[in-house]
Amino acid sequence: MRIVIAEDNAILRDGLAQLLIERGHKVVAIVGDATSLGTAVAEHLPDVAVVDIRMPPTFTDEGLVEAVALRRRFPEVGVLVFSQWVETRYAAELLAGRAAGVGYLLKDRVADVGEFVDALQRVAAGGTALDPEVVTQLIGSSRKAKALDALTPREREVLGLMAQGLSNAALAASLHVTERAVEKHIGNIFTKLDLPPSDGHHRRVLAVLRYLE
Amino acid sequence: MTTTTPRAPALREFLRAPIAAQTWREGGYLAVTAVLALAGITYLFLGAMFGGVLVITLIGIPLLAAMIVGARGFGHAYRTLSASMLRSPVEDPPPFSPRPGALGFIWSGLIDRTGWRAIAFILIKTVLAIAAVWGALLFVVVSMGFAVSPLLWWLIEPTNYDENGVARRSLIQFGDVYLDTWAQMLMLSTVGIVGLFLAPWPIRALAALDRMLIRALLGPAARDVRVEELERTRTEAVEDSATRLRRVERDLHDGTQARLVAMAMTLGRAEDRIAAGEDPSELVHSAHSAAKEALTELREVVRGIHPPALDLGLGPALQTLAARSVVPVDLAVSVDPRPTPGTETIAYFSVAELLTNVARHSGATRVWVSAMSDGDGLSVSVRDNGIGGAVIGAGSGLAGLAARAGTVDGSLHVDSPVGGPTVVTLSLPVDGTH
Repeated sequence: MRIVIAEDNAILRDGLAQLLIERGHKVVAIVGDATSLGTAVAEHLPDVAVVDIRMPPTFTDEGLVEAVALRRRFPEVGVLVFSQWVETRYAAELLAGRAAGVGYLLKDRVADVGEFVDALQRVAAGGTALDPEVVTQLIGSSRKAKALDALTPREREVLGLMAQGLSNAALAASLHVTERAVEKHIGNIFTKLDLPPSDGHHRRVLAVLRYLE
Repeated sequence: MTTTTPRAPALREFLRAPIAAQTWREGGYLAVTAVLALAGITYLFLGAMFGGVLVITLIGIPLLAAMIVGARGFGHAYRTLSASMLRSPVEDPPPFSPRPGALGFIWSGLIDRTGWRAIAFILIKTVLAIAAVWGALLFVVVSMGFAVSPLLWWLIEPTNYDENGVARRSLIQFGDVYLDTWAQMLMLSTVGIVGLFLAPWPIRALAALDRMLIRALLGPAARDVRVEELERTRTEAVEDSATRLRRVERDLHDGTQARLVAMAMTLGRAEDRIAAGEDPSELVHSAHSAAKEALTELREVVRGIHPPALDLGLGPALQTLAARSVVPVDLAVSVDPRPTPGTETIAYFSVAELLTNVARHSGATRVWVSAMSDGDGLSVSVRDNGIGGAVIGAGSGLAGLAARAGTVDGSLHVDSPVGGPTVVTLSLPVDGTH
């Protein structure tokens, strides 16, 4: 993968770059603020940009604003928003429109290097990667949250994992069940939530998120 | 010359008094308010009479309430006159804010402190107005009359007859003394002129009395001033705590949390290497250092929230603070009885911020910190031998400290001439209350 990193904290910036380089990826640009991020992405057209939300000059949400702008300007560039906390409104803004080639992860997730790089690869390939925390908040804040009451706890768990961007195989592995069982759960969820069945895992995420919005 | 110089201004003021603008303004004020006082007492008389009589029909009660609130109008008029003619502007009391509903209005009116105080003023002012008219103003008129009497006497050529029927060419008589010679008339004129020079002083005295009364009875009551002060300091306290929480959040987010993330990342990479059969020791070492740095930073943040030493008392806490100061500190602490935790916290953080200021801006080579308390209050002072020139400006650290002290009715005093030295004194109550 060719990657642009936007992060103002030097320790995290360097650590992240080393980690990705060790894994054989190419970090084409490292920037410390939102404006340079736009320039760097336009110049390098990377597979994915890793974007911190809070950056200079105001240290509020300039990273997110730029991430949303990047998704509009460069649809082919994946954007992984990388933050120390989850804000429901940020997640909603980021996912508004289409939930493809986008991710929102807590910085903590980098501790599991393998999973983090998988998520980044998913986003680069046009998939999604949502932090379980993000999914919980989105489901909790949904206007249609009541409809979710119809789901069994197991089905809700599957829905959450689906929303995070996991494939059926990954879902089956993480729940220690067979893929057939997973497919059955998903079928039930779609029926209960009145969603037309479809294939391709990020289309499911899209459907789920659209339902949640 | 050296002995007469100090007296000259007093003499000149005495001679100038009759034509001084102040005298005429204040004389005018007494004349105008004599009329206003008459209107005031009439208002009260009519209000009390109608209200009092009609109390039995129940209409009287709202009428009385309206009269009490209406007395505020006189208060307003007197305040306006005080500002323009007595050059003594007085702040408006808080506006009448009745409770909802007709009954609420009546009740609020009956207990309207501002209205009652205005009524008290009107009553006192009636007495003073009589004194002003019969004392000062009459004195002026008579003195004027005396002063010009020889002229009148010469022009009119009056003729009076005494008890014995003898014609006297006199304008004025005192008992059976008839003033009918030039010498006597000139003497009377002199008395009048002296009177005119004396007249400004009772006028000024009465005006001063009014000034005092208006300030005391028609301005905001002490309780109103207190309420306003409490509202202001409460707002400042809330904002101050929000600012401090934001700073703590920023410190944690940018420091400790970022370091922990970096550490987790490094350990994740180490796991990767172990899985690949490589040597992870470099990464483990780096994570170890990061953990130690995170601990140090976290300790700083915790100290910024509440220094543990403060649990032992202000003395030990200030000792630690002094030991950590960049500029050498001479510390003197004597706090007995021990102030409340709130007061101690304010004192501690104020000293911490003042020491930071000293290190940053003053160029001082030595600081003297003292904290002394007795039964009345805690006095904390920070003195340095730096360049001075510190001011309590809007948005400055000192303004923040003053605001924080204000939340417990304390105060901050800054004495910092350009060139130094700077002495900042903080006075706080020991028991945390007024």
